[in-house]
Amino acid sequence: MSLRLVPPVAQVSGKGQRWAEARTGGLLALPAAVYFLVFWLVPFVAAVYLSFTSYDFAGTPEWTGLDNYRRMLGDPGFWNSARVTAAYTIGSVVPSIVLGLAIAVPLSKPGRYNAFLRGLVMIPAAMPLVATSMVWSVIFADKGLANALIGLVGVEPKPWLTDEGLALWALVIMTTWKHLGLFVIILTAGLQGLPLSVFEAAALDGAGPIRVFYRITLPLLRRTLLFVLVIAVVGAMQSFVPAFLLTKGGPAGATEVLPLYLWATGFGFERMGYASAIAMVLLVAMLALSLVQFRVLRGGEDG
Amino acid sequence: MKAVRNTLLTLVVAVLLLPVYAMFAVSSASDATDLGGFGFDVSQLGAHVSQLFDQGGFPLYLRNSLILALGIGVLEVIFSSAAGYALAQLRFPGSRVLFAVIVGTLSLSPIVVLVPMYLIVKELGWINSYQGMIVPFMMSAFGVFLVRQFALALPHELLLSARVDGASELRIFVRIGVPLLRPALLTLFLLQFLAQWDNLLWPLIVANDPGLWPLPVGLSQLQTEYDFSIGLVSTAALITAVPPLVLMFLLQRYYVAGLTLGGVRK
Repeated sequence: MSLRLVPPVAQVSGKGQRWAEARTGGLLALPAAVYFLVFWLVPFVAAVYLSFTSYDFAGTPEWTGLDNYRRMLGDPGFWNSARVTAAYTIGSVVPSIVLGLAIAVPLSKPGRYNAFLRGLVMIPAAMPLVATSMVWSVIFADKGLANALIGLVGVEPKPWLTDEGLALWALVIMTTWKHLGLFVIILTAGLQGLPLSVFEAAALDGAGPIRVFYRITLPLLRRTLLFVLVIAVVGAMQSFVPAFLLTKGGPAGATEVLPLYLWATGFGFERMGYASAIAMVLLVAMLALSLVQFRVLRGGEDG
Repeated sequence: MKAVRNTLLTLVVAVLLLPVYAMFAVSSASDATDLGGFGFDVSQLGAHVSQLFDQGGFPLYLRNSLILALGIGVLEVIFSSAAGYALAQLRFPGSRVLFAVIVGTLSLSPIVVLVPMYLIVKELGWINSYQGMIVPFMMSAFGVFLVRQFALALPHELLLSARVDGASELRIFVRIGVPLLRPALLTLFLLQFLAQWDNLLWPLIVANDPGLWPLPVGLSQLQTEYDFSIGLVSTAALITAVPPLVLMFLLQRYYVAGLTLGGVRK
């Protein structure tokens, strides 16, 4: 029998090691397994089930098939909320990304002063949304900052939060402000990660700043832009706090975004089945939109 | 050229910070007659702060918020690091299923599972309790996913040599994994603290007892209490904004890292 040296790697990949890994891995992952089962997987399956039932907390859910979805089609409250959510999403996502990019491009340039400004830009992003909403409710008050500012250019004061045509735009302005800081930070980080050599080559070729922006910066930044776009759209679609705190969905439903309608349906009117059906539609809409954005923005890119 | 750029940027940032200044100005306003003013009265602000801490539910809301945000932040770090490390470095039965569930959960938002989550908490008898507010959010799919991504990049030789030296897997996780994962864990703690400090919807649903309200719920109720002036409410909002801002400036690096995850190709 010849003497054989056992390499250490073989020692630690044997049966004993397998068992040790299985035991420790199972132990470390067990709380997560229980947590995700109880608080996410079961609720998700239950939400799908409840969306086909009529349930008001009392008794047991009663199977009603597609009734909730059929009712949704003819429910003006639902369609109003869907329209409001769409307007709120488009209205806040487009300006916050366009302005965010316009600020991020010059702000991402090196320099101590820019670093200082970047720190300041983060302040709105780190402000709690609840505190932000309260500040803006004061800004939009009759004698608040918004009216003082438009007064400077001679515009009559407006009832921002109580006018059916204006209230949603007040929410859009606040949301744009809140997201702008966030998006500037993310876009700045993306811009700083771009390879400098490409820009140097473009400068040598005599390309102007606008040409560089459209031909080089934007295509290279596509991945970061996609990320910002997805979190912006999904974030706006499930936004609850600004509408709840600033307008309570009013006046006359003008700011009743879908999450607010869902909350009122489920916990105000105790129609849990119908609320779950609304949740399903919201989920499918968010997933579908994310998918479309991935397809469009990643199209033509390898990997 | 550079001077123009700096001037323009300074102007833009000043406009962005205008609402923050408005918060200070309104917090120091003695009455609600002129909210567009730009005066700033430190003594009035001080009076509002002491008034908030002397009466009403504000100190209680602050305490509850600290319990929720710190509690959930710590629990998230402990359990997400354990699960994320296990998924990245250890072979155990069910790991594929668990990972699939977590990736699936990434695309769910609380609003989608709100109704059944409430029913489960009710079934557990946790309505109007701290555990009812904490446990449903004690972990996150994002957290586990984040730790797993970082744990995949741990130096293999280091873990292997510890195994050769006969260290137990648990010891390797605690002594080698956790210290190396510290940046990810700090990022995770910060993001979870900020999110829970600002969580209005869930406590609004599971806590009817004002003694359990965290700041977001308490603040939204302050607005409607008749004896609260706008200056006082604004001061409450201002105080609420302080802990997140302080944390963010102390941990700025981790904050940016957390926000940009997935957005920037490394």
